[in-house]
Amino acid sequence: MTDLPRIHISGRSGLGADLKEAGSDFAGAAHRWRLWMALATHDITSRYRGSLLGPFWITATTAAMIGGVGLMYSQLLNLSLAEYIPWLATGIVFWTFFSQVITEGCDAFIASGAIIKQTAIPMMSFIARMVARNLINFAHQLLIIVAVIVYFGLWKVANPLLCLAGFALVLINLCWIALASGIISARFRDVPQIVTAVVQVAVFITPVFWRPEAIKAHRFVLNGNPFYHMLEVTRRPLLGEPVALHSYLLLIAMAVVGWIFAYVLFARTRRRVVHYL
Amino acid sequence: MSSEVAIEMRDLAIRFPVYGADQRSLKRSLAKIAIGGAIGGRGSGGGSNTVSALSHVNLSLKAGDRLALVGPNGSGKTTLLRVMAGVYAPDEGSLTTVGKIAGLLDLSLGLQPTATGNENIYLRGLVAGLSKAQIQAKTEEIASFSGLGQFLGLPLKTYSSGMLARLAFAVATAVDADILLMDEWIAVGDAEFRDAARARLMRLIEQSHILVLASHEMDLVKGLCNKFMHLEHGVASPVMPIEQIDHFMPAQAAGRFASAA
Repeated sequence: MTDLPRIHISGRSGLGADLKEAGSDFAGAAHRWRLWMALATHDITSRYRGSLLGPFWITATTAAMIGGVGLMYSQLLNLSLAEYIPWLATGIVFWTFFSQVITEGCDAFIASGAIIKQTAIPMMSFIARMVARNLINFAHQLLIIVAVIVYFGLWKVANPLLCLAGFALVLINLCWIALASGIISARFRDVPQIVTAVVQVAVFITPVFWRPEAIKAHRFVLNGNPFYHMLEVTRRPLLGEPVALHSYLLLIAMAVVGWIFAYVLFARTRRRVVHYL
Repeated sequence: MSSEVAIEMRDLAIRFPVYGADQRSLKRSLAKIAIGGAIGGRGSGGGSNTVSALSHVNLSLKAGDRLALVGPNGSGKTTLLRVMAGVYAPDEGSLTTVGKIAGLLDLSLGLQPTATGNENIYLRGLVAGLSKAQIQAKTEEIASFSGLGQFLGLPLKTYSSGMLARLAFAVATAVDADILLMDEWIAVGDAEFRDAARARLMRLIEQSHILVLASHEMDLVKGLCNKFMHLEHGVASPVMPIEQIDHFMPAQAAGRFASAA
């Protein structure tokens, strides 16, 4: 009997072996959760070290934005603050998380290049690091949503469990998007710019600030926008409003197709990502 | 069992795809698809050029082997070490390692300038694959060896380069490895630290079962190693006993080291 670790790596031997090795990479990353959690925590603390509020700056800046935009847009859209602020607060907080995971996903491997090029660490650890970091940020912003729900009495109608289920579904989707864009961005350095541009446009064509009910014609622009459905399944349950079934179906279909795509892409490129960096 | 520690390479080849500034651009790739030239063209025929970094490397090391990798710059020594460390996967052939591997390839690996010395000890330990308990068991020893005392509570960016090197060295060498990979001998710090560092490295080498050392220093290699392999343009010689190194090394190399000494 021996407890010595044994590693055997050979040249690529087809898609089947690639898929299996990709699976081992996922398992290895899960096993090393302490590493990517520590790196994620470090990412946050290093950014706010020496500042008075620390990571609660995230909370403060978002709260200020909701206050400012809320006061102006509620008049613009002819809504009372009680109607508009909960809509806006949930929209901005969820949107910030979704868009950050996607844009930072492009950088997930590039930013960890120094480590990837020197030592053997499962590649998925770096996606996990980025997602964990953004979840920590998101947790700080969640305080705003809790405050809004309490202040406007929405706790009477909110369905947090349904929101959590919707959030999990969105997170599963965000992870494959981040994995795929992380790989493609490492190879093609134009992609991060393109993704950033798309996300910047998306904030205006997605109902973050305004209500989708206001759109009467050209509904396909709305329904064809995955961000719209991501916001629907997370925001509506908190406001005690019903979610259309097709939003769930679309996100489930997107998760299945997207993960198959991202997993195969990862399996085929996993050994080469180190050469891209 | 220590006697089982081994490194085995069979016909191992590593090719580096070279992605020029142009080829990284999506426009170029899309343009190629539009022209119809490179669809499905992966590998050598496809857009990227490849450089053969290592080809047909065969070696078999067992416990007690101390292998020197010698050869000019760019001959593939570091690449071979990185293959052993698991950074590059072989394109052809196979690699089998038995035993815990530690690489002293880049001392600054995983060090975060914005984190404190203590935080870096923890992070670096995690990067090296240690458990939380193992790191805690080593922390005090690392701290005392580095001699940094209360400075460990400050972020790395406030350190002098000498202090940084001390910490990096102390952390990187606090490993228990069956297989030790070294890219050149590491010499850091002031005279006093240098002696302590030397003793620590020698202890680490003695504790390991296999050492692979890439170096240009012939005297060092002769003192530490019992076998050597010569690399040139990614082509490796067979593993030979160290006694033959003087016969094997080209005359100009001998001359170069004589003039350097």
